[in-house]
Amino acid sequence: MTFPLILTERMTRHPRDSHLLDRYEATGGYEVLRQVLKTMTPEQVVNEVKAANVQGRGGAAFPAGIKWGFLAPAEPRYLVINGDESEPGTFKDRQILERDPHLLLEGVVISSFALGVNHAFIYIRGEYPKPARRVQQAVDAAYAKGYLGQNILGSGFDLDVTVHLGGGAYICGEETALLNSLEGLRGEPRLKPPFPAVAGLYAKPTIVNNVETIANIPWIVDNGGAAFAAIGDENSVGTRLFSLSGHLKKPGNVEVAMGLTWRELIYDIGGGIRDDRELKTWIPGGASAPWFVPALHLDVKVTKDDVAHAGSMLGSGAVIVMDDTTNVVAAAHRIVKFFAHESCGQCTPCREGCTWMENILWRILNGAGRPSDIGLLLDVSDNISPGLAWPPKMTTICPLGPSAVSPITSIMAHFRDEVEAMIAAAPSELANAEASNA
Amino acid sequence: MSAAAVISDWSTANQERARRLLDAYPDKRSAVMPLLYLAFLEHGYVTESGMRQVAALVGITPAQVQSVASFYTMYKREPVGKYLLSVCTSISCFLMGADEVLAAIEEEADALEGTTSSDGIFSVEHVECVGACGGAPAVQVNYELIEGVTPEKGAALCSWLRDAAPSVVMTDEMQELFGSTRSFDWGIKEAEGAIAPVPAFGPYGSAATEKKS
Amino acid sequence: MPEQPAAEIITITLDGEPIEVPKGEWIIKSAEDRGTYIPRFCYHPRMKPVGMCRMCLVEVETVRGRILTTACNTPADADMIVDTQSAVVQKAQEGILEFLLINHPLDCPVCDKGGECPLQDQTMAYGPGESRFVEEKRHFEKPIPLSDLVLMDRERCILCARCTRFSEEVSADPLIEFVGRGNYTQVITFPDQPFASYFSGNTVEICPVGALTAKPYRFKARPWDLESVESVSMVDASGASVSVETSQNEVVRINGIDNDATNHGWLSDKDRFIFQAIHSEERLATPLIRDAGGVLRSTTWGEALDLVAEQLGSVRGDEVAAIGGANNTNEEAFALSKFLRTVVVTPHIDAQVGDAVNPDFLAGVVPRGEISDVDRAHTILLWAGDLKEEFPTLYLRVRHAVSELGAKLVIVHPRRTGLDDVAAEKIGYRPGDGGEVLRRLASKDRKLATARALLTEGPVLAIVGLTGRADDPRLVEAVAAYARDLPGGKILPLARRGNIFGALDMGLAPTLLPGRVSVSSDLGRAELEAHWGPLPLGPGLDTDGILAELETGTLKALVLVGADPVRDGKNPTTARAALGAAEFVVSFDMFLNDSNQHAAVILPVDGFAETEGTITNIEGRVQKVNRVVPGPGQSRELWSVLDELSVRMGGQLGAGDAHAIAKEIAEVAPAYRSFNWDRFEWGPERDGVVMPDGEGEQPLQYIPVDPGLRPAGGRLTLHSGRVLFDGGTRVAHSPALAALVPDAEVHLHPRDASAMALIEGHQVEVIGEHHSLRLALRLDPTLAEGAAYVPANLDSTWVLGVSPAISIEPMLSAEDGD
Ligand SMILES: Cc1cc2nc3c(=O)[nH]c(=O)nc-3n(C[C@H](O)[C@H](O)[C@H](O)COP(=O)(O)O)c2cc1C
Ligand code: SF4
Ligand code: FES
Repeated sequence: MTFPLILTERMTRHPRDSHLLDRYEATGGYEVLRQVLKTMTPEQVVNEVKAANVQGRGGAAFPAGIKWGFLAPAEPRYLVINGDESEPGTFKDRQILERDPHLLLEGVVISSFALGVNHAFIYIRGEYPKPARRVQQAVDAAYAKGYLGQNILGSGFDLDVTVHLGGGAYICGEETALLNSLEGLRGEPRLKPPFPAVAGLYAKPTIVNNVETIANIPWIVDNGGAAFAAIGDENSVGTRLFSLSGHLKKPGNVEVAMGLTWRELIYDIGGGIRDDRELKTWIPGGASAPWFVPALHLDVKVTKDDVAHAGSMLGSGAVIVMDDTTNVVAAAHRIVKFFAHESCGQCTPCREGCTWMENILWRILNGAGRPSDIGLLLDVSDNISPGLAWPPKMTTICPLGPSAVSPITSIMAHFRDEVEAMIAAAPSELANAEASNA
Repeated sequence: MSAAAVISDWSTANQERARRLLDAYPDKRSAVMPLLYLAFLEHGYVTESGMRQVAALVGITPAQVQSVASFYTMYKREPVGKYLLSVCTSISCFLMGADEVLAAIEEEADALEGTTSSDGIFSVEHVECVGACGGAPAVQVNYELIEGVTPEKGAALCSWLRDAAPSVVMTDEMQELFGSTRSFDWGIKEAEGAIAPVPAFGPYGSAATEKKS
Repeated sequence: MPEQPAAEIITITLDGEPIEVPKGEWIIKSAEDRGTYIPRFCYHPRMKPVGMCRMCLVEVETVRGRILTTACNTPADADMIVDTQSAVVQKAQEGILEFLLINHPLDCPVCDKGGECPLQDQTMAYGPGESRFVEEKRHFEKPIPLSDLVLMDRERCILCARCTRFSEEVSADPLIEFVGRGNYTQVITFPDQPFASYFSGNTVEICPVGALTAKPYRFKARPWDLESVESVSMVDASGASVSVETSQNEVVRINGIDNDATNHGWLSDKDRFIFQAIHSEERLATPLIRDAGGVLRSTTWGEALDLVAEQLGSVRGDEVAAIGGANNTNEEAFALSKFLRTVVVTPHIDAQVGDAVNPDFLAGVVPRGEISDVDRAHTILLWAGDLKEEFPTLYLRVRHAVSELGAKLVIVHPRRTGLDDVAAEKIGYRPGDGGEVLRRLASKDRKLATARALLTEGPVLAIVGLTGRADDPRLVEAVAAYARDLPGGKILPLARRGNIFGALDMGLAPTLLPGRVSVSSDLGRAELEAHWGPLPLGPGLDTDGILAELETGTLKALVLVGADPVRDGKNPTTARAALGAAEFVVSFDMFLNDSNQHAAVILPVDGFAETEGTITNIEGRVQKVNRVVPGPGQSRELWSVLDELSVRMGGQLGAGDAHAIAKEIAEVAPAYRSFNWDRFEWGPERDGVVMPDGEGEQPLQYIPVDPGLRPAGGRLTLHSGRVLFDGGTRVAHSPALAALVPDAEVHLHPRDASAMALIEGHQVEVIGEHHSLRLALRLDPTLAEGAAYVPANLDSTWVLGVSPAISIEPMLSAEDGD
């Protein structure tokens, strides 16, 4: 099927300088903004976004239009762009920030106009200095040309944009942790309610959207929400920038219309498995997502609902592919280790549970596994995510803790025999030694 | 005490940056993280006096600043080498052989991960996903990225840094010299990079374009 | 705001039972109030919920089906269905408990908290059996000091953030914080900044495990051999409820009790650790008399009382005067009042020393406010001493009212105060010019427009007292006179000493008879004489008058009751002279002090925690204090000594015991008609009862008037505010607190200093009206120009006495600049 490249056309056509203002203007940049400011009301813009039915691209896939509708009337209000992109496997926002920062900025100005926002923040993870530089250059250029600042393009609309760098903490991708971080606090998620749309940054009404989500806005407003909604699959519309990584022939970002199958994404677009080896398993939506296996999931459609039905999620659009050489226990250990390292530590089950699970997996990997460990891992998981259901129930404040459960339930569901074999192969004295230092 | 007085030991340029950062947000406290980067630059790492200065600038207690600084991994509170080598060992890089790259770098830099080489040139650390999974394995030098690094290239990178001792490390230059597969087309080469183990960003005074002389 | 339950009452279903609760109340509280205790660690009823420990998980029916949620931050909503017992809930709670235990050391036997530890109790109740955790526990260096008073054992910490939230949210001195992240998180201070908070002890009390411990209590006792009795702190007159905990007849710990009307359960470290003085070696344990050689020697009660009876009997009644009684119970104060008026027969009685305010005002001002009025006030006018230094628990109440409940605070004070950071308006002024500020407030003065605007929105609660020892006491009445005309204006009068308001209510004042009756009220006097027989004609002399007349010889004998006029009086020199001139001085006290050292007889009496009775706080609220330990050696309760002395003097006090005295108070003291111990022992009235109530009435309705104060003359005026950890005897005899007493400095506004060519840090001569001092100079921009600040009550400064006018000279000596 054919579809427009909403996010990547400019950088594909003009790979050298798609990030520069001249190129951006030369390719129709900021024209949509001009039209919006001249001819549209904020309500009309919001309605187009609602009609587009664009789902958030940050992970939760919540419809942006509906979220915008929740924005409380109080003043001032803020728009915060979530560029913390830290979900293992994900590098799509980086490409937009680095290669087409003005596309994001135009989306920011249009969205701010629609939401009655006069100060927007772009929060970029600290490990993204180059993307941050590119965005800051774009911001400076936009101010110079009057696309930002006072009385934008003579419309009377004012907007300031502040670029803010993180300090190295995955959890700051969680929107309320991000807001705390932006307020100069520890990046600990807040209790919800209240939701940011009611009490967000500085307790004022705030919309938090992902970079990719907002990068879609100029196209949506230009072509109309209906046109966007017509792309892809009816339950997951538009295109999406997928980050392909792992044992693929052609890793990298790719923009596709949703609704294709995993087989198409992995074999046609991803070029198949390196050295034509066997596909063993893949993670469909970033490290937080339960894994898929060829026997069950290759022909599942790449849409929010189809993937959810199959027990996982599209999450951040990160597809991590593993071939038959992969030690799945080692892979799971890496991912659990990640979440243990990134736990903010405020809530008990995540703080204690993630590290505990990491340690158990480490023991199994190092020949000190015990037969009881499989039951133990699942029970500890159950104490973080009761019922081990999908979408997860949580004993935690935020979904980070439950995310650490995904790899464990995945290997137990699909590769339990490998885990058992590894434990059985454990030199028993080592296992007992471990057991005895209780 | 006036902001100026608090940070009188800072370079005038950074004092000016601090002033601008304090005005950039509706609430001064939001400047804590940017100011910590400035303090880092000024003192070589986030020192106690640096945290005290930031506290005085935004009007909170040093304990509160320490609480924030210690939450994030990039505010090093011990001295770090001239070049901070961060090797991603998260899942995608792990699948593509990151552990071998880390080993090679530890070897050549003569510093185990989590430590600084005796000559003070290198600090080596393994880090979680840096968003370069399409170009795994990835390594950062003072947060300037290199994608598609092999153990050999990793070692070569270290000796280059030691010998050429660049005052500014630039992602594009290093990618050309030591990288391969990229997550995406990077476009024209850029000559801007980091002057310290702090993300190279203009408003934080940590970015520089290298002057060919 | 959920923490302020809305009036609306709704019905929810808790474990199948329909219950009525205020809409918006946290489920955890609704359940607890109805006998269902949901386990918790991080939740504390006096702080905002954070839902961190996750122990209070319950299931709630929602449109999306049953969800697990934390009861501590889930507000009750109409028709909500809550399950606290389901299998899911129990599994989750057991899981959380296991998570908390995997890194928690098993050192309960040596842990201060062992036996009173929620974690230990929960483990018994819900806990998993033997541990499935075979890994290494988290390791930290064992207890490290956070301050001179508090230690932290990070291995025991369960990161509930109660302590850090207290210091940030309640006491607003965030010196302890989370450091690190995830599994490596710990609570700690900044390296060279100890947890020096006036309120640090509260964190130890609310720590749900043994992570935080207080040095004065560590290893002192095991909870199961602790006996704990409710009482009231007598450190200041705010009436903070405490539990006094003893082991083998020794007070080993004082904790706060959540009293809605007063302290919300919080205490200052002074309230908490002052108990150390009770068991000081220096306590007087036998009667002392001065022998021919002028040396004090111990003796028997018999000999001592015979001597006192003979001496007091040998002069006319009105040649005897008495000072003190403000640190005794109402019952003791009443016995003293009756003894002086009916046995000795003298009107010269004053419980106030040095910083006296018109007793009629303190006892009778109307309309009188209550502490809880801060929660309802639109605007709080605070024109008094720095609450943080003088009334720490009231300070926390006001802070809470302002920062959590949105009250507007207007502070009038010559210098920085602990509440300035939350004040909507702060008015500084030169001590002595208070009358001027009042006139400007009342007039159209632009500079004070904001304050005036705030004060025209009621209800207004005015907290009024002396801002420092050198204030003209009439200023307090002037402020009250202004405040009572503000919309919904009420007055909360402040005076410091533990039971000063009770003492005045019992008639220990030259102008007052028991029950807030004016001596000049013929009716009141007649009513009392009906019980007591003829009374001396009043009004009597106040402390200043007494000291003066002792020197002239008009007065011949002096009775001191826990009073030290040399130290606390206006002028140490004249006080000493007066004591020297007196023919006979007897002192009832717990310690030797600068005044009673010259007494002929010193009688050891019991003090806090050693006497049973009641005390009355700034609101006129009466609460019960209890005897939990015997006094040292032969020390006795004041009333019984007075009883025996009366007999020896041929009189009759008829004080069977403190309870009998209480009954007599109810009979003869009009404002205390409904006064009855049983009321304070249990039920809601355990929080105390504001007198008069029930059939009680208050004869004295004091309407303050503005005396029209003139601006003070002179170049510099003295602001001598008090500090919490002072040079007083009780602090001096509490090792934990004595270490915290600050060094004295004199503060000047930088402009004044430069005008006088004085340099910061240099020694200067502070020349008062009676005495002068050498102090180091500190520049203080928060101080009003034309004022010099000297802490009032330190060992090195008290000799200054009360001296409104003052001058400062450079020291032209060798140590210059040291
Ligand atoms: C642990 C955690 C990490 C997250 N990380 C990110 C992130 O890196 N980037 C992002 O845009 N959203 C992230 N999210 C989702 C955000 O909370 C939020 O839903 C999103 O930014 C909203 O924008 P959207 O609606 O446009 O997707 C994360 C959520 C969680 C629970
Ligand atoms: S789940 Fe983990 S990251 Fe989320 S709030 Fe709890 S501790 Fe923090
Ligand atoms: S008491 Fe509710 S989460 Fe701790």
